[in-house]
Amino acid sequence: QEAKKLRFSAVFSEQDIRAQMMQKLAASVADFAKLELYYGGNLFKQTTEIIAIQRGNLEMGNVAPQDIATQIKEFSILTSAYLFRDADHLNSFFNSDAGAEMVALAEDKLGIHILGPTYFGTRQVGLRIDKEIRTPEDMSGVKLRMPGGDAWQFLGKALGANPTPMAYAEVYTGLQTGAIDGQDNPLPNVQNMKFYEVMDQIVMTSHLVGYDLLVISAKVWKGFTEEQRTAFQAAATEAIAWSTQQHLAREQELVGFFKDQGLAINTPDVEAFRSYAQKMYLDSAFSADWPEGMLDRINAL
Amino acid sequence: MDPFTASVLSIVLLALLGLPVGHAMIASSILYLLLSGSDMGTAAEQLLNGMFSSYILLAVPLFILAAELMNAGNMTLRLLAFCNAFIGRFPGGLALVNVAQSIIFAGMSGSAIADAAGSGKMMQRMMTEGGKYPPAFAAALTASTAVIGPIIPPSIPMVIYALVSDASIGYLFLAGVVPGLLMGLVQVVIILVTARRRNFPVEPPVPLRALPRITFNAVPALMMPVVLLGGIYGGATTPTEAAAVAALYALLVSALLYRSVTLKSAYGSVLSSARTTASIGMLIAGSLVFNYVVTVENIPATLSAWLSGFDLSPVVFLLIVNAILLVLGCLLEGTTILLVIVPVFIPTAQALGIDMVHFGIVCVVNIMLGLITPPYGLLLFVMTSISGCKLSQIIREVLPFLVALLVALLLITLVPDLSLWLPRLFGYNG
Amino acid sequence: MLAVMFAAFIVQVAFRYLLNLPSGGASELTTIMWVWLVLWGAAFVLREREEIRFDFLISMVGPRLRRVMTILACAALLFLYGVSLPAAFDFVTFMKIQDTSYLDLRFDLVYSIYILFAVAILVRYAWLLWRALRGAPPEVARGPGEEAP
Ligand code: NA
Ligand code: NA
Repeated sequence: QEAKKLRFSAVFSEQDIRAQMMQKLAASVADFAKLELYYGGNLFKQTTEIIAIQRGNLEMGNVAPQDIATQIKEFSILTSAYLFRDADHLNSFFNSDAGAEMVALAEDKLGIHILGPTYFGTRQVGLRIDKEIRTPEDMSGVKLRMPGGDAWQFLGKALGANPTPMAYAEVYTGLQTGAIDGQDNPLPNVQNMKFYEVMDQIVMTSHLVGYDLLVISAKVWKGFTEEQRTAFQAAATEAIAWSTQQHLAREQELVGFFKDQGLAINTPDVEAFRSYAQKMYLDSAFSADWPEGMLDRINAL
Repeated sequence: MDPFTASVLSIVLLALLGLPVGHAMIASSILYLLLSGSDMGTAAEQLLNGMFSSYILLAVPLFILAAELMNAGNMTLRLLAFCNAFIGRFPGGLALVNVAQSIIFAGMSGSAIADAAGSGKMMQRMMTEGGKYPPAFAAALTASTAVIGPIIPPSIPMVIYALVSDASIGYLFLAGVVPGLLMGLVQVVIILVTARRRNFPVEPPVPLRALPRITFNAVPALMMPVVLLGGIYGGATTPTEAAAVAALYALLVSALLYRSVTLKSAYGSVLSSARTTASIGMLIAGSLVFNYVVTVENIPATLSAWLSGFDLSPVVFLLIVNAILLVLGCLLEGTTILLVIVPVFIPTAQALGIDMVHFGIVCVVNIMLGLITPPYGLLLFVMTSISGCKLSQIIREVLPFLVALLVALLLITLVPDLSLWLPRLFGYNG
Repeated sequence: MLAVMFAAFIVQVAFRYLLNLPSGGASELTTIMWVWLVLWGAAFVLREREEIRFDFLISMVGPRLRRVMTILACAALLFLYGVSLPAAFDFVTFMKIQDTSYLDLRFDLVYSIYILFAVAILVRYAWLLWRALRGAPPEVARGPGEEAP
């Protein structure tokens, strides 16, 4: 029997750790599925992958939970800040009953099967000013660059800052000239984009555990035999776990690197930030579509 | 024949038959989808999503509008008077004015076509009045000086390169300044040599007391680059917004200060830039659709694997890329090359440790030269229609300039510092 | 209409800069305008001579051959755009399941310009084909040396 051809599209580049993750997965399932890997958003642009899967033009993708939330409002909870504490908490959610409910929702409504969350780093606040930050109140008046879009700008407010939108490519210059006081990104991005050269300190707010979802078309998934599904899921879980470990190790290593570069690494009162942010989300329209009781179930995990 | 080969042949064939290039690319991509049994809605999907998600491309119509408003508002005319007052008195004076004007105008327009069609038209008229210069020489000169436009910032091709390479637009813009000046310099050398040999006229010197008034008149136009670049590097605007500010500035100066723009002529400018935008936009749209075909066939990976198989040194790689781009530049349009061909080289260039900003300058200079390389050179076509000369005459006159510019390209390729010196001064660490 | 679109375009971006409005709505509107401007312009406003084309070959050959070339080009375009129209329509209508992120416009409406564009191009090339078949000189070609408008 011929191996099934599966086209995979992702925004990350061929040099990304997750590209290696996909190569590992491709190797493990090679006897019944032939993965064709496309990176850099070349095949399908960011945010358009789900529709491509729904229309049968793509079989697999690495999609942001935000993109699922545009079609399933309930998913917006999984994009909020201070929801997951760390990569472990993220994984245990997707292994829990609550996680299974969300996965089933995506399968029913969108026709995509979620294989697992692909962690890519936790967002931390980086500042060019040496003000001491303990609580959200200390962030008051700080011009914090956040990605464009209502949800991101709201997140900036939920950190107590003055959010400013700015294109990612312009952030370095913005920090240099003082157009912004800070930015929020996972540490590997801070290193790639050389932001650390124009920053004074990193505040380890850990406000958003960054992840995408590795998904496969439900139609293709159901077309597999039971045995194939088990093998595919096991291979995906293993590759994802490897990639997560790589990312965590990299972040650990970068803390040391940034210290060597003369940056102050400060850990604020994360609990104060967490309760401030969760309260703001609950009081806002953003939580209107959240499934009843889901927040408590996730917090309890 | 496999679907990919069929679709490539179809593009060439349809383009040769005279179909607009954008339509030829869209139609041929549909042919690919049809032959490979894929969803033909993908053509619409790629075109729409591609254009919708490329916020950066919004700078293109705005820069076109800025150039158009400057022409309508006599800003360009005043700049010409300014240049003429200072350098018209040297041998080949008006020809030198043409170069100087292109360098200054380059700081405002983002497109070589806009440059040639706008200020070029005026230059052509001034140079050929009373039989001062042979029309074909004037046309060839105007075409070859116009290529400086997108090398000196701002620049539409560099915005598009930033899109495919993730290099910073701000640093790309800075990196273009020295290479752009170098290209102007080699043109000046050619003009001085030709002026002596063919006895070109000298302009009557402008009286000294007229200089302050002419300079004063040109100040708002001369301030444009300062406003733009200051805005970008001062952190006040992003390059996309700077394009809008440029258009607004041109409108305000023309309307309030020069009082030379009426509502009607402003409307005319908007309309004519909308037309230019649509025709360039169709080319971009076609490239976006065809890009899908190229990607799904894994052409970039195949090509870059093929290239990396040779174990090339960075210099040899750059020279090969130059050769390929120059040949393609004779056949294809610049935007297409940037969107479809250049991404093929980027992974290899990165692997070889070539700086992405330097690489961008090399590619853009190459593509600009493609605009004046026969047989397919958009600027040559534009100048043919403006001057009324035969294409073959213009090609003969353009050759010395082309050779000189190729020498400049070689220097820019081999000496990365020419491009990277200025960005590094502003904090670039590549 | 084109002018209005363009003006809105400028005003939006200018506004964003001058008032520092972090409004995603404005940038979304300009993006929509850009898509519409290009497709609308290409379909209804651009004249044959304004389009970017490779007219080197067609300007070298005689009028008879030029007519044949035009007929072939038009026929190929009509066939390919025509055969893909149902699929394009299917894609555009499918997009109704998504709204744009700021203005909450339905994507099928935003993208409907493609259908308009495709139909207008089909009509236009059918007309060009008809003219070429009847022996009228093709406007598609503009020889070098002819005065631009
Ligand atoms: Na010029
Ligand atoms: Na320029």
